[in-house]
Amino acid sequence: MGLLQQYYDIIAKALYYEKKGDIMNSVLYKKKFPLLVFLIPAFIFMIVFLYIPFFQNILNSFKNISGLGTAATGYNSPWYSNYVEMFNDANMRVALRNTFLMIIATVVFEVGVALILALLVDNIKRGAKFYRIVYFFPIVVSATALGLLFNLIFLYDKGMLNQLLEFFGKSSLTDWKSKALAITTMMIPVVWQYVGFYFVILITGLNNIPGELYEAAAIDGASRFQRVKFITLPLLFNVMCTCVVLAVTGALKVFDLPWVMFPKGMSDTWLTGTYMYYHAFNTNNVDYSSAIAVLIVVLGIILSKVVNTVFKEKDY
Amino acid sequence: MKKLIALALAGAMVLSLAACSTGGNSAKPKNTTINVVTTYAGNDGNAQNYQDAVAAWEKESGNKVNDASATSDESFKARVLTDFEAGSEPDVLFFFNGVDANPIVSSGKVVSIDTIRKEYPDYASNMKDGMMGASPVDGVNYSVPVNGYWEGMFVNKKVCEAAGVEIPGADTTWEQFLDICQKIKDAGYAPIAASLATVPHYWFEFTIYNHLSTTTHNVLPTGVDSVQGKGWIAGLGDIKTLYEKGFFPDNTLTGTDDETVQMFIDGKAAFLIDGSWKVGGIESATDDIDNFTVTYVPGMGDRKSTDIIGGLSSGYYITKKAWDDPDKRAAAVSFVSYMTSDEMVSKFAQVSATALKKGVTVDESALSSLAKDGLKMIAGATGMTGAVQDQVPTEARVPVFDGMPKLVTGEVDITEAVQQVLDLLKK
Repeated sequence: MGLLQQYYDIIAKALYYEKKGDIMNSVLYKKKFPLLVFLIPAFIFMIVFLYIPFFQNILNSFKNISGLGTAATGYNSPWYSNYVEMFNDANMRVALRNTFLMIIATVVFEVGVALILALLVDNIKRGAKFYRIVYFFPIVVSATALGLLFNLIFLYDKGMLNQLLEFFGKSSLTDWKSKALAITTMMIPVVWQYVGFYFVILITGLNNIPGELYEAAAIDGASRFQRVKFITLPLLFNVMCTCVVLAVTGALKVFDLPWVMFPKGMSDTWLTGTYMYYHAFNTNNVDYSSAIAVLIVVLGIILSKVVNTVFKEKDY
Repeated sequence: MKKLIALALAGAMVLSLAACSTGGNSAKPKNTTINVVTTYAGNDGNAQNYQDAVAAWEKESGNKVNDASATSDESFKARVLTDFEAGSEPDVLFFFNGVDANPIVSSGKVVSIDTIRKEYPDYASNMKDGMMGASPVDGVNYSVPVNGYWEGMFVNKKVCEAAGVEIPGADTTWEQFLDICQKIKDAGYAPIAASLATVPHYWFEFTIYNHLSTTTHNVLPTGVDSVQGKGWIAGLGDIKTLYEKGFFPDNTLTGTDDETVQMFIDGKAAFLIDGSWKVGGIESATDDIDNFTVTYVPGMGDRKSTDIIGGLSSGYYITKKAWDDPDKRAAAVSFVSYMTSDEMVSKFAQVSATALKKGVTVDESALSSLAKDGLKMIAGATGMTGAVQDQVPTEARVPVFDGMPKLVTGEVDITEAVQQVLDLLKK
């Protein structure tokens, strides 16, 4: 409980100081040396463990590498062959299609459901803390454990869902991982897991809306729905924009839960993340995997830019 | 003055420490810690035997083992190869002796048995040299095997009884097997427990074997029109037929191996092709071990049903790093010799194949009926060949293993898939 409260406080303070940035700049950053002392180690860390591997990965995507940790045997012929192969790879098309579906599901259901839950919890006086914990809880459980949990729920023989359906009179078992249902089966746990994450961000944003506005609106005779429509949603817009950007970029990286539930892209459930991992660790096609990683980064940058343009934050 | 005293005291301390250190080394040889990596971990049937053996060796030799064993899967293989590439290989490694070990043999980072025997003439002298599993790189023995494997068809007797069919035996043909499967299916059971999505390789081996023979099976195809190429295409076609006839479980394209094996244990499926390691798995998963037996996979053509698949696919390597270290050389040799002694191999191998000159010493009275049936099956085998997949690198298996669901549903043409394997092999 204490930790959760601290988490809310930190987000609330971050949002507050973002507005007060100019004042902070003028006071805190006068002396540059201490700043450098603290920044340089982190900068070096980022260079060594992020930027050098990142550029090396781009280089690797042009080389021939037949196993993790194995030295490249030279450049591919032609050097861009992995990128050509990507365009002709049917599984890659499946992965891109599924990833875009995942992005839509993430934005609509994760952020959407989180918004509804946040609005509901914000409007209750008793038990709000309880619901905050309940909705946030899936975030703290590891994705692998959740994958195993949902595997048992969707299990063909003796799975929870099939047993329930049997109890209600269904005579045949449903294969929840068959091609027809696989995408839905994969997306439900992913969406469910991250609702709590956006819920916390949104509820912190809601806490920052001054109560006086609601009181004034209530005195003016505004109904609860009108208060949400004309006060809450407009003032929450910037926070929602942040959520959408996080959701879109996050969906591009989804890996662990789908991989546990659908190993090796079972039933055409490839995502860009799982397909990249598959080539790096299962087929030893490391250079192709690197090329997919480059594509994921490029897509991430393009989509972030598009989302930032479409959901441009407003100044109030 | 104080400075002089402090300097003198510091000097005396350094000298005394140096003397202690030198005296310690010359007085008594220090015990060694060796780094060992094996696949005896997780749900491996011999994981506990391995732990016990390591503890016993540590007690006997006074040395220590820094163990980093892990379950054998593709990630494990990648980790081992990466460790060798990065120069952080273990001192002793229990690893595959087929193409998977080619990079470490080619790099010269493991020591051959002949080299070791020059200094330790009795090293692996209890093994048949011809069965130790020579490296595909140069035909030289580098590893000392422990327990080998065989593959056979496990049977749930009650399912066969309920369906009114005879348990397939040494004389059962493929056509008769198809009739048996049909009767089992008609009785409401799944004839074959197999996950074509995750573990299609047992059926891959035997259906191909059925179109080849003991002498031609373990040879890679040179083209789709070669004897082996045609065998592969026909064999994969047989799996497609089995799928189309509905002989696999309904969720064979989406279920895991654990799920289909559980179906077999629960009496919902009749047959399961698996390896000798499954004997222990079935024993621990059921209270009624007498309900299970193991028999030959029905054959056709040149392959008799009694021609089985088996061999010794893994062994203990001593790395050059350990060999070149005077402290670790003797400890590594002692460890491998201990782990591959007749007594230890018998304990690990039980009903599976070994390279021991004297054979295993197994107390049959302590074996389950299923384990005894396994021994009988081996005794009645008319021929044995290794699994051809062991010659195919992981990346080249993709079109027929990971692609199996698309092959049996007809989304991908079988001949094209085999051609893709051959293209990847050429790479």
